[in-house]
Amino acid sequence: MEATHESASWKAWFAAHGPKLLLCARQWTRSLADAEDVVQEAFVRYWRHQRGLPGDPQALLLTSVRRAALDLARRRDRREAREDLADGGLGDRDAFFEKLPGEGDERRLEIESALRRLPPEQREVLVLKIWQEFTFEQIGAALEISPNTASSRYRYALAALRNQLEPLCHG
Amino acid sequence: MDETLQELENELANLRPRQVSRALPARIEAALAEGAGRTPSLRSTTAGAPVRRRHSAWFGWLAAAATLAVALTAVWWQTRPAPAAPLAPQVRNTAPVPPAPEATVAAGHYRPVGAASVLYDLRDEGDVVLDGGAPARRVRYRYVDTYTWKNPATNASLKWSVPREEVRVLPAVLH
Repeated sequence: MEATHESASWKAWFAAHGPKLLLCARQWTRSLADAEDVVQEAFVRYWRHQRGLPGDPQALLLTSVRRAALDLARRRDRREAREDLADGGLGDRDAFFEKLPGEGDERRLEIESALRRLPPEQREVLVLKIWQEFTFEQIGAALEISPNTASSRYRYALAALRNQLEPLCHG
Repeated sequence: MDETLQELENELANLRPRQVSRALPARIEAALAEGAGRTPSLRSTTAGAPVRRRHSAWFGWLAAAATLAVALTAVWWQTRPAPAAPLAPQVRNTAPVPPAPEATVAAGHYRPVGAASVLYDLRDEGDVVLDGGAPARRVRYRYVDTYTWKNPATNASLKWSVPREEVRVLPAVLH
């Protein structure tokens, strides 16, 4: 009975937060498959060993996801690492977001494309701020940077996106 | 922040991250079930319990090591050479110790590889009279005993140092 309750508990939590974690994991991995591996590893570790720890579960999990992604990247050989760098850390072109109905989906693709062109350090801050809904303090803690740096990167990222998307907005 | 950036923020926030694949929750469930099979107590984990479990493992391991240290001390005590009165600290015994099978099992994969005893203080506490009225001298020895274990598989080693005090009553010989 307890196991059933526990199973329902993590499933409900994962249904609510899994997509956001996956989106964050995508910022640090080459492919959707890698991102899912990383999320699985981090979530299982969290659920087994860390959920009794104090603090925000999402922040703990995000740190765990990031470390798992970095570990995965370290296990790759140098050639793959160079490809990652050249590709901005995103080797495949699987969608970041749910499809939108009708013409809205074209806009989604434009935004995704612009996101992928952002420098990785700006993109990860943007993703954590917008979709993970972290504060700059939380982002700073997760990425081991100062909140001011996080805030600057966020503003640069938004400005860069606006510059890329402006023709679509106003043209 | 200007208005266009605010609009862009809102537009981005309206995009919903894609769902995880259907396989991922199943994989997580399998991984959690596998872990629970290995350690059933995790099913009833409460806040702080994992930390306690790690501590328990440490205490168990240390208890095993302490048992081994006591056993080695007893062996050394029975086989030590007759005491001489050293004038300075010295290493008395650094001979390799043959592994004790039961202790090896108790301490995991570590095997005892050495034991050393350093005498760092020697004090003559003067004359005493034994029960039969015979004169004697009481001498206090202070040692640090160090035992070394090694894991042949990983080459990791562990040293266990314990202080030890020994009081010897030596019959006085009158000339």
